[in-house]
Amino acid sequence: MTKPVELPQGTLEMLILKAVSLGPLHGYGILLRIQQISGERLEILQGSFYTAIYRLEHQGLIKGKWGESENNRRARFYSLTAAGTRQLKAETAKWTDMAAVVAGILAKKADEI
Amino acid sequence: MSLLAAIRKLWHAIVPRTHSDVEEEFRSTLEAYQEDLIRQGVPEEEARRKARIALGQPAAQFETYRDAIGLRLFDELSGDIRYGLRALRRNPGFAAVAVLSLALGIGATTAMFSLIYAVLLHPFPYAGANRIMNPVFIDEQHPDEPLYFPLSKSQFDDLRLAAPVDSPLGFDNAHLEITGGALPEGIWGIYLTENAGTFFGVRPLLGRNLEPTDAENGGHSVVVLNYRFWQRHFGGDRHIIGRMLEIDHAPYTIIGVMPRSFAFGVQGVGDVYLPASLMRGLANVPYLAYIPWIKLRPHVTLAAANAALEPIVRQFAKEHPERFPDHWHLALQPIIVPFQQNTGRTLTLLLAGVVLLLIIGCANCSILLLARGRTRRHELAIRSAIGASRWRIVRQLLVEAVVIACTGAVLGVAASYWLAKLPLLLSPDSFPAESLIRINAPILAFSVALALLCGILFGLLPALRLSRHDSARMLPGREIGVVAAPPKHRWSVLIAAQVALTLLLMATAGTAIRSFLQLTQIPLGYDPANVMTIGIPLHHAHDPGEWSRIQPREARTAYIEQIREKIAFVPGVSTVAVGDTDATPPYSGVEKYFNVDGTGDREQPQARVMLVDQGYFAALRIHLLQGRLWNTDENTRGDFIAVVNHAFATRYLSSSNALGRQLRIPGLTSRNRYQVASAHSAAWRQIIGVVGDARNDGVDRPIVPAIYLPYTTVMSPFVEFLVRTQGDPLTSLRSIRAAIASVASDQQISNADTFTLSEAVERDAQYSRQRLFSILFGVFSAMALALALVGIFSLVSYSVAQRTAEFGVRLALGAPSVHVLWVATRIALVSAGAGIVMGLAMDSFFGAILAHWMQSAFAARSLFAAAVLLALSALLSCLLPARHAITVSPAEALRYE
Repeated sequence: MTKPVELPQGTLEMLILKAVSLGPLHGYGILLRIQQISGERLEILQGSFYTAIYRLEHQGLIKGKWGESENNRRARFYSLTAAGTRQLKAETAKWTDMAAVVAGILAKKADEI
Repeated sequence: MSLLAAIRKLWHAIVPRTHSDVEEEFRSTLEAYQEDLIRQGVPEEEARRKARIALGQPAAQFETYRDAIGLRLFDELSGDIRYGLRALRRNPGFAAVAVLSLALGIGATTAMFSLIYAVLLHPFPYAGANRIMNPVFIDEQHPDEPLYFPLSKSQFDDLRLAAPVDSPLGFDNAHLEITGGALPEGIWGIYLTENAGTFFGVRPLLGRNLEPTDAENGGHSVVVLNYRFWQRHFGGDRHIIGRMLEIDHAPYTIIGVMPRSFAFGVQGVGDVYLPASLMRGLANVPYLAYIPWIKLRPHVTLAAANAALEPIVRQFAKEHPERFPDHWHLALQPIIVPFQQNTGRTLTLLLAGVVLLLIIGCANCSILLLARGRTRRHELAIRSAIGASRWRIVRQLLVEAVVIACTGAVLGVAASYWLAKLPLLLSPDSFPAESLIRINAPILAFSVALALLCGILFGLLPALRLSRHDSARMLPGREIGVVAAPPKHRWSVLIAAQVALTLLLMATAGTAIRSFLQLTQIPLGYDPANVMTIGIPLHHAHDPGEWSRIQPREARTAYIEQIREKIAFVPGVSTVAVGDTDATPPYSGVEKYFNVDGTGDREQPQARVMLVDQGYFAALRIHLLQGRLWNTDENTRGDFIAVVNHAFATRYLSSSNALGRQLRIPGLTSRNRYQVASAHSAAWRQIIGVVGDARNDGVDRPIVPAIYLPYTTVMSPFVEFLVRTQGDPLTSLRSIRAAIASVASDQQISNADTFTLSEAVERDAQYSRQRLFSILFGVFSAMALALALVGIFSLVSYSVAQRTAEFGVRLALGAPSVHVLWVATRIALVSAGAGIVMGLAMDSFFGAILAHWMQSAFAARSLFAAAVLLALSALLSCLLPARHAITVSPAEALRYE
């Protein structure tokens, strides 16, 4: 098994937005999907996970709606709002930029400078 | 939308999801996770346990939710507030004392602020009130007495065209009577130029105000009613518009009612407002009838306006030189100025007094909190031991203090509504009639801010002090009280400060009361007790027949004498005298120029001229010093004789041979066709008598030289009867009215000019101000004293309760009870003593300033008396609770351990 990765502060929200952007999900489903996409390499603390969801909903980036889950249980499904879509786009761009810059710096060798 | 629904909606906006909603979602997650675990082969019981460990309690999830949306601080604060309220309920004695101490201070401060707001910051309801000016001219020889000048119609129109003038208002007053009813009723009418509606910019309560069209055809017969008159006369009937009101036998249409806040008036609030164009149709109105007010254009400075208007007024002076002194200049006065000078000082002083009271109240609360804090150490130690930060504890203690402050503020604001009216009741003439005391937004904001400030002010010191204990030292057990508690510097400082400020207030009150008492003992020179003045306007002006009946001087005299005789027959009446409008002390007479024989005509000194009958001196008990008074025949003739007061004789005549000298008053003639004068009114008169000085320029001001002449020499269409009765004169008023009616059934009485001379003294500006100071500062200092004593009392009783065991042991070991008493009260006594010393020092520093502001001397004797009183009561409030220290039985004391 590959080594688990710890998330930097503030990235959990971004991942939740991404997970929800792929289709409406209930809370536990979001958690499962993130773990699944990451190849089970992310260890997410369940406590901070709900705090993140509540905050996103309060900021109007995702929207919750009661529905029925795959095994006929009542569950709250979250989907991305318009503001959420914009936010995800901006965050993604920011993240890729930053990652590229940081990676570029780290990849430099002494003779290249 | 109802208020409840609004709150619910607001709440929903802050907290969109409900408790059960959050919990249900969480449960569904919990179950899904649990099922996953079971699917992975974990036994059911184990899976449930694991899921709970990983996710937490469903019940606690709502808290996580509220945390996440940023309500944590809010939740904690509301918890603190609830806790604070519970703590207050658990300890009602403490709560009552603390809340009341603050309620007194906050209530009094809010009251003063609302008074200042109403009187100085926002006294007039008029649009652009700060641009409205009262033009006066200043006689350069008497610069502190601004003089008003009425204008003629054409002068008024000139003023309207002047560059800096936005619009002028012209007005004049008149005694009117409502006729057509069973009895005529005297009212005070104000004639206003017809631009009044736009000039004042006050929306009428009903109907409309005067409009320029009301001036057409010599003025429409319309009338606008004052609110109080409308309430009094029409019982607040809202269907009054369009009805007729008969004034002076002529019908007027009621077109509007002004709101309560509008009380414009000249020498009294107007009952009715009428178009000024009607004035020319009226009989007893002098030619110069427009008293002007000027509203300046925006952004015009006072200096520029003065400069622009001066030449115009110079021109007026050329037209009417007799109305202007030799050297004068024009000054525009903002309309607040007459009230600002004295009232502003009065209010500032009172505000200083209540702020002191508030500080004393705050100090009291600090002392109480500190004292109570000793019993809370244990609780706070536990809180900090289980992880509360110091800031968290300070915050909780502060919130508790603010809860006390806010409770106090609620009570205080409720009380302030009533308190703020007190100065208005005690000194009505010092304040504008239109200042309306009410609790409005700025005042509420002020008191809320004040409450928060106080809460933080008095809560901070105890909070910092109490939160400092480290839990390790505090927790192992309660303090064993046989060790004397460490000295409590903070308490001592607070007690000393409280006592010092109390002494300052008490000394101020002492000074105020003393100078008021001195004022009441100033000899007036006349006896105001049981004398009443009754004003009678003689205006039958609208009925030409009636007017011609009393137009000739002889007929008028006969009419007045007839009424005087009828009043004299009323049971209980001992003396009746006659005077013209200005015969009522302590302000009496009209300044006029005069000449004395043997001096040049150029030299024109001034004296107060009083037109009275020979009975005036007996009615007021003014003594005859030299010579004689005039007799009935001389009174009827009016000419050739005069009586002067002692001040006149010493200043203008060598007093030894005043009798037989001659004087004349050139300006003493009929001014218009409604005044009648005797044949030689302005001619030389022989001085036949000198009477004692009676106050004529205010209760505390020096007596001005005065000349008394028979009232028949120049007669206005108005007389006053001064009636001395055996008992309270007002009880005879009804029979006196009947006596007047028996002479002429339609003769009205002017209510505004009917009052007792004692009332006139009480209305005197200095008298009423001194009375206001002595009553209010008396009340303030009594409150402050009570607060300081409560502070000392609670300090001593708490410390005695804390140290019961110590005192028990001391007594058991044979300490004399005097010594134990001294130990128990030492700190309080020493700090009270220090406070008194500090207070004495402060008094000598502030004394001079205070004395200047109160316009009375700061008395060392009242300071000493206050210090002694304070010391004695402080001693008493120490000893009362300390008594318990020596009654402790050692066995019982040790059982506490």
